[in-house]
Amino acid sequence: MAKNADLLPGTLDMLILKAISLEQLHGYGVLLRIKQISGGALDIPQGSLYPALYRLEHQGLIASEWGQSENNRRAKYYTLTALGRRRLREETAGWNRLAIAMAAALNAAPEET
Amino acid sequence: MLGRIRSLFRALTTRNDFEQGMGEELRSHIEQYTDDLIRSGVSPEEAARRSRMEFGGLNTVQEECRQARGLRFFDELVRQSRYAARLLRKSPGFTITALLTLAICLGANLTIFAVIDSVLLRPLPFPNAGGLVTMFNTYPRAGVERDGSSITNYYERRGRIPAFDAVALYRFETAIVGEAGSTEREPVALVSPEFFPTLGVNLKMGRGFTEAETSLHTDTVAILSDRYWREHCGADPQVIGKQIRRDGVAVTVIGVLPPGFRFLSSRATLYFPYSSRPEQRTPSERHSGGNSRQMIAHLRPGATLSQAQAQIDAQNATLEKDDPQAKMMADAGFRTVVAPLHADHVASIRPVLLLLQAGSLTLLFIGAVNLMNLMLIRANGRAKEMALRQALGASRGHVVSEVMVETIILTLAGGALGLAAGAAGIRFLAVFGADQLPLGSEIAFDGRLAAVAFLGAGLLGIVLALPVAWFALRGHLANAIQSESRGGTASRAAQTLRHGFVVAQIALAFVLLCGAGLLGLSLERAMSVSPGFRPDHVLTGQISLPWSAYPNWSSRLTFNEKLLSEIARQPGVSEVGLVNNVPLSGDNGMSAATVKGHVLRPGESLRGHYSYGVDGDYFTAMGFSLHEGRFLTAEDSRRGERICVVDEDFARYYWPNRSALGQHLFVGSTVTKDSDAFTVVGVVGAVKQVGLTEEVAQGAVYYPYALRTDDRLFVVVRTVVPPESMGLTLQKLVRQIDPRLPMSDVRSMDARIGNSLIAQRSPALLTGLFSAIALLLTAIGTYGVLSYAVSLRRGEIGVRMALGALPGQIRGQFLALALRLLLAGTALGVGGAWLAGRAMRSLLFHVPPTHLPILAGAAAAMALVSFAACLLPSHRAARISPMEGLSHR
Repeated sequence: MAKNADLLPGTLDMLILKAISLEQLHGYGVLLRIKQISGGALDIPQGSLYPALYRLEHQGLIASEWGQSENNRRAKYYTLTALGRRRLREETAGWNRLAIAMAAALNAAPEET
Repeated sequence: MLGRIRSLFRALTTRNDFEQGMGEELRSHIEQYTDDLIRSGVSPEEAARRSRMEFGGLNTVQEECRQARGLRFFDELVRQSRYAARLLRKSPGFTITALLTLAICLGANLTIFAVIDSVLLRPLPFPNAGGLVTMFNTYPRAGVERDGSSITNYYERRGRIPAFDAVALYRFETAIVGEAGSTEREPVALVSPEFFPTLGVNLKMGRGFTEAETSLHTDTVAILSDRYWREHCGADPQVIGKQIRRDGVAVTVIGVLPPGFRFLSSRATLYFPYSSRPEQRTPSERHSGGNSRQMIAHLRPGATLSQAQAQIDAQNATLEKDDPQAKMMADAGFRTVVAPLHADHVASIRPVLLLLQAGSLTLLFIGAVNLMNLMLIRANGRAKEMALRQALGASRGHVVSEVMVETIILTLAGGALGLAAGAAGIRFLAVFGADQLPLGSEIAFDGRLAAVAFLGAGLLGIVLALPVAWFALRGHLANAIQSESRGGTASRAAQTLRHGFVVAQIALAFVLLCGAGLLGLSLERAMSVSPGFRPDHVLTGQISLPWSAYPNWSSRLTFNEKLLSEIARQPGVSEVGLVNNVPLSGDNGMSAATVKGHVLRPGESLRGHYSYGVDGDYFTAMGFSLHEGRFLTAEDSRRGERICVVDEDFARYYWPNRSALGQHLFVGSTVTKDSDAFTVVGVVGAVKQVGLTEEVAQGAVYYPYALRTDDRLFVVVRTVVPPESMGLTLQKLVRQIDPRLPMSDVRSMDARIGNSLIAQRSPALLTGLFSAIALLLTAIGTYGVLSYAVSLRRGEIGVRMALGALPGQIRGQFLALALRLLLAGTALGVGGAWLAGRAMRSLLFHVPPTHLPILAGAAAAMALVSFAACLLPSHRAARISPMEGLSHR
């Protein structure tokens, strides 16, 4: 198993939004999806997933409804709201700026200073 | 934000679904993970163990989810409420005392506030309420402050004052309605065609009055109030076009008013057009307002009161230019006042209501201080527990919210009780004549008041909890744990605060007592004023003779004669007379009289005087005193001679050093030909005309009934039996003479006097009641604080007793403490009473705002109460045995 990266604070919300933006998912599905899109590099503590989902729903970024899962269980499916979509866009842009800036800063060679 | 509140609200209202769904979701997660693990080759037991471990504590996760949804706060609130309720149940003495105090104090405030809200605050119940104004003529230098508006005023102002988009004239009177034998006198209103549009009121049925219906021969139409329509027409939907009888004349119903319509405090059930003859609309009638004709107007949107006033002033100035009476009116200080209708209508009652609200707020203050003290004492008893809990990690927020929740639960429960007390209070106020106040019958006890009650109770809870929370927080942690257990005097600050509260309480109760004393003394002084006649054993009642049935003076005088002789024949009657208006009837207007040969002094103007028409033995029946000459008798009415009787005030004003007998005067504001002059044949004692507290001696003239054009008629009977017992007999006698004539307003003069004092009596009684409660609360407060002081110092006292202190010394120590509190409170109270006295000066009658005997009396009452309250605690202190000092340690 590849070495897992620790989650930075605040990134869990972003990952959940991203996962749900790809398709409607139930809680366990979100977990699997994040694992999958991060190539297994990001490991989310299972216990912290649900409070995050409830918080996002409370903030109106995602919506939930009950449905049937693939193996015929009752499951709660989450979808992204318009507000959530906008938030995801903003966060992604913000993250990218930060990542580029961080990479540039960390790659700086002595003569460039 | 809104979304979050909605989400929280959904989670709260469907709490069970929320919990169930959350449990299901989390369990299903764990199951799926377990299945996946099994599928990847892990043994089922191992899979179950690992999935549960990786997920973490289910309870913790659930709690975090709830918190994410904003539910934790509410869970905590519910928990704390339960805890607080349990605590309150555990100390029933405290809880009951607190609830009773709150119920009484909040109830008193809500009662008064309900009146203030209905009378002063709520807009009048008309669509156009905002821009309604009233106008009246005033002649201050003639002694006539208000003279309504004349018909001429109305026709001259209609459509000519740009600031108004509607102007209307109205007048209240009574009419005899119904068929012979079942007639009733109904209060009615005469209104000009624009009256209802001015108010913005639409009829429920039919149409309003038209311009064509304002002449004497075309005014046979009527608009019914909803109540009259229901009670007398059986709510007939086809009532339009039907006929009813007004003073014997058939009139056609053309409209019905919407339910609940009521113009100010009027009880009018029927509305008729305000009709007039052309000569009543001429400039010479411009100043014949006579307080019964009133004018209202509606301000055009955007127009202001001052614009309207300026335009009215300008119009008056223009019109007076070619008015022969202008000089005289200007000398009398003539002006037309434009005032907001609502404010003007309630102006007389406003200071009384504000005073009562101030009184009840003071009561609430005293009650609140009591509660604060009780709670501080209680909190001190729990200081150790609090300190311990804080030491064990309870957060400060937690401690504060616990105190807040407990207090707010208490005050909200008190608020609910107070609401019930207030509802009872409103009924109680009706006994005090609240429904006779302007707009008094509109007093409502509704959702708005309930909202005020709970809001107020909640706020009070927060305020009450503040000092307790502060002391709980100032967290003398270890300090409290040690010192309170020693029973020492640990928190000096808390003690100072408690004593300060008692001082404030004594001061406030003192102020209330003084206020009640001033009002009570005013009432007593007003009651001891002689009305000028002998009111005992006098029964009065009103009849109105319709012009349709009694078209001329001879028929009216024949009726009078018959009535007088029939009544005089009754056993139990000693004298009987008739008059067009009795003193203190509540509707005593003035009119001008001019004395022949009287030269106006510089600055002096024409004067208004009360004038009456009398028949029969009115003066002896009412019990007037005779100063000079003779009374008028029934004979004078018959003979039609132009004579009159004046009262002593009138005689003193015009003929200060001469006899009034044989002098001449004229009705109206001008001296005309000698054959119109009235000769004075007698001078009678002055009587109080509008109320016992009136101070201005305006003078009165009495004419023979036949020579006064007035269709009102009061029967005045002096009896040898209790006057009320004659009421039915009188009514039956009138019906025997004319079955169409009802007699109304049958009351003894004593009852009329009592009624005229209602403006003095009710505030005096209510503030008296408030101060009695205040005294009781202060006694409870002083007692509570002193007995707590004793219980705190049991150990110390025991030791001193052991060392040889005498019980008397111990008792003296606590009496001295009570005395100190009393002196400080009274000193503050004297200042407050001085301020309060000045503020209520306008409500006092012959009592100075600072009255030494009242101050002394209040101080004595406070002293008595304080000492009574500290008797038991100090006695208890003196009986502490030396042994207790030892065991207490």
